[in-house]
Amino acid sequence: MVFKLFGNARSRPTLRVAHILKEMQVPFEFVAIDVQGNEHKTAEYLKKQPFGQIPYIDDDGFVLFETRAICKYIATKWRGQGPALFPDPSDLKATALFDQALSIEYSNFDNAAVNIAVEKVYKPKYLNKPTDEALVAEQVSKLEAKLEGYEAILSKQKYLAGEYVTLADLYHITFGFYIVEEGGLMLFTDEAKYPNMARWWKDITSRPAWLAVKGGL
Amino acid sequence: MPLKVHGLAQSSSTQRVLVVLKEKNVPYELVPVDFFGGELKSPASLAKSPFGQIPYIDDDGFVLYESLAICKYIAAKYAGTPLLPDQSDVKAVALFEEACSVEESNFHPFATGIVIEKYGKALRGLEPNDKLVEEYVFKLDEKLDGYEAILKRQRFLAGDHVTLADLAHLPSGQIMGDVGVKLLEDAHKRPNVSRWWKEISSLPSWLAVIADAKAA
Repeated sequence: MVFKLFGNARSRPTLRVAHILKEMQVPFEFVAIDVQGNEHKTAEYLKKQPFGQIPYIDDDGFVLFETRAICKYIATKWRGQGPALFPDPSDLKATALFDQALSIEYSNFDNAAVNIAVEKVYKPKYLNKPTDEALVAEQVSKLEAKLEGYEAILSKQKYLAGEYVTLADLYHITFGFYIVEEGGLMLFTDEAKYPNMARWWKDITSRPAWLAVKGGL
Repeated sequence: MPLKVHGLAQSSSTQRVLVVLKEKNVPYELVPVDFFGGELKSPASLAKSPFGQIPYIDDDGFVLYESLAICKYIAAKYAGTPLLPDQSDVKAVALFEEACSVEESNFHPFATGIVIEKYGKALRGLEPNDKLVEEYVFKLDEKLDGYEAILKRQRFLAGDHVTLADLAHLPSGQIMGDVGVKLLEDAHKRPNVSRWWKEISSLPSWLAVIADAKAA
């Protein structure tokens, strides 16, 4: 039975999963959830995803939610069919440095990036609501405070976990791309201010698998 | 050489690591950090923890930061209570990662927000933003419905065995209860969440972490 991805065609988290499916060359069926109609809040949906969020996947009866868990599952199950997006689990230290990089994204980037995306892009574009510019400024400030840390790491190594690209790098793309491309913010693409981060950003966002999904499903 | 943990006995992110070390009976040395004195912004510190955060560990020269990464490293390296699923079981690992992510997205931001407002600010003699606390409590309360649904069908968040995903909730959950936000203890509203919370918060290793924090 084909791998099914339940989500929204332009939702950032849905695209994060679609990106990794493409990286690992896993054929999948996209099933659109009627978010406008609150399908994700129905009792039926909550049986699959108890927090009423999108996306979730169904891999031949195995249901999983939380995009990062889904992406790691895909990269594990189909390992060998695409790039090795995380180190060999028997290498304790390399795995620890990979887990550290995953946490960097979650603790230092995700929250601010999501808040900026919601205010700068999602609200005006899809909800016809005004942007709270003060909130954007606050969140941009929060994110910018972290960029020096990223710059320091990326000045010493090519990617966040070491010399090879991993899921930790790729997880940044879906929201990062949104706030830079559609939100019109320079942030980490500023080559003068963050030369290494800009170099890293250019690299990961030029991957064919990302280009295949960036416009939506 | 015992593993060194650079952090503070009262800091929730440090405590996440300490409870795992105690659960696994791993000898360690807690090296207190001069948090308010700006030690973490020094070049020497930034070289080890580039975002200026605690905790970070030094395991015989191997330096690691980010509490969950540290916890996973300790859980994988040392014997004792597993705290991780069997790594060869792809589905079990996926469900564990899902549980870890649930904590990060559905618990952590709100619990940490409550802790900062009602505990962190008090430490610095500042007044909490009550409206913000109300917002965090409202949002967390909603998320706990998801927790109740999961814990209704299984004992712990990733399955029938306790894992790092459960323990990750302890520090913030504990402080929330201490400052009067009793969402996790409400047995009437969510019997399975309160059952789960009671079980993990009575672990001897966790009680030892709290005792150390009080003594520090």
